Amino acid sequence: MAGSRLEKLGTVFTRIRNLMRAGVLKEADRPIWYDVYAAFPPKKEPVYQKPMGRFRKVEDNVQEILYKEDVIRAKFFEIYGNGPRAFDLTKANFVSTSQRFLEKYQELEKAANLSEEALLEETGKALLAEGLILRRRTGGFGMAVQTSDSSVSTDTENQRPVLEMKLKDMLEERQNVMSSLPQSSDKENIPSQSTPSA
Amino acid sequence: MAARLVRRVVRSAGLERSLVLVCPVSRTYGSVAARAPQMAPAKEVQADDEKILTEPLKHSDFFHLAELFTLKDLFDARVHLGHKRGCRHRLMEPYLYGCRLEQDILDLERTVEHLQVALNFTAHVAYRGGIILFVSRNRQHAHLVESTARACGEYAHTRYWHGGLLTNGHVQYGLGTRLPDLLVFFSTLNTVFQQHVAIRDAAKMNIPTVGIVDSDCNPSLVTYPVPGNDDSPAALELYCRLFRLTVNRAKDKRRQVELLYQLKGKDEARQ
Repeated sequence: MAGSRLEKLGTVFTRIRNLMRAGVLKEADRPIWYDVYAAFPPKKEPVYQKPMGRFRKVEDNVQEILYKEDVIRAKFFEIYGNGPRAFDLTKANFVSTSQRFLEKYQELEKAANLSEEALLEETGKALLAEGLILRRRTGGFGMAVQTSDSSVSTDTENQRPVLEMKLKDMLEERQNVMSSLPQSSDKENIPSQSTPSA
Repeated sequence: MAARLVRRVVRSAGLERSLVLVCPVSRTYGSVAARAPQMAPAKEVQADDEKILTEPLKHSDFFHLAELFTLKDLFDARVHLGHKRGCRHRLMEPYLYGCRLEQDILDLERTVEHLQVALNFTAHVAYRGGIILFVSRNRQHAHLVESTARACGEYAHTRYWHGGLLTNGHVQYGLGTRLPDLLVFFSTLNTVFQQHVAIRDAAKMNIPTVGIVDSDCNPSLVTYPVPGNDDSPAALELYCRLFRLTVNRAKDKRRQVELLYQLKGKDEARQ
């Protein structure tokens, strides 16, 4: 059987077709796949593409996949780090800590008209009320740096007890806010602490 | 069938050469579709034979392969996950949906189209009694690919590819060796992340290829590329299942159709 080993010239199909046209390959000897390829050709002809030169500029035509919610996610990771619970990718509809934060943020955004920082704080408090404890990231800068500056060292020393106090204060504050909510008619009814979160 | 070729599963070990089917009948150099009957067939039988081969080509989905998978199945099997941006091959850019945090995401809508065309081609080749060789140099899935081949009654090669397997087959395995009619790659790269030699060799020997091309692969020489993940075990299991079902369906259909024509012939002979 006649053949053509020039893989860089045309496609597999065109080579066999041309051999038949030239009369070198008989119709009866054509390969099994020839008719199938003729009936169902591929979407793109499998022609050999030469590799690009080494010193060409590489353009990036592929778009980045970014969502509006990514801004909020970025803020969450900046403040709280990775969050208390790891991602469990084995479950298909797993809701991660950052996802819960995001959903709560969007709820509060629709409900109240606050600034971004206020919203972030509120979401943190709301999740705390629901029982999700988020620890603020202490950051690499404050703890690692050892300076002779007294003010900085005192700050870092006092940071932890201050944080703990802040949490308790926040919880009390939150409970007060919750109890006072039904009286205010302007705000939407945010579910109280007693009702379990869905 | 007089000229039915005996099928054996290829046993390819590290040191042994892989065995290729030897055509027992003709000594003509690679007469592929030759059935070599003892006597000249009757005209009706010839027409029927042609009909068996030409009828399926008129339908766009003769074997109903569209029902075998959906886009959601591909997503659940993580087929859309590609490699990192730095590994991207420039020819794969049309098949990418986008890049999420430096990881390429393949466009599953395109994958569905390409996979349908590829499975359809495989089915028709299997229907016509073509030899299919499954190739994968991914060591994690070598066993899966070999068992898939065994389940369909076809062949697999998941070990080191010795240079002249296709191009020097007639010297290495004797005159009149029948080469595969289709090569299916579950991963087009070899263990050192270069394109598998068999892609170029198949193009040289005018053998069509079906290949799962990941975002770091070169799809240009693959006849029917299927953009998809070639590393996750879930994705590979899906592909193996799809190809096994396709080939088995095609072969069962062929047996059915032949039986039908045989019965028809008997009926006509009686009348």
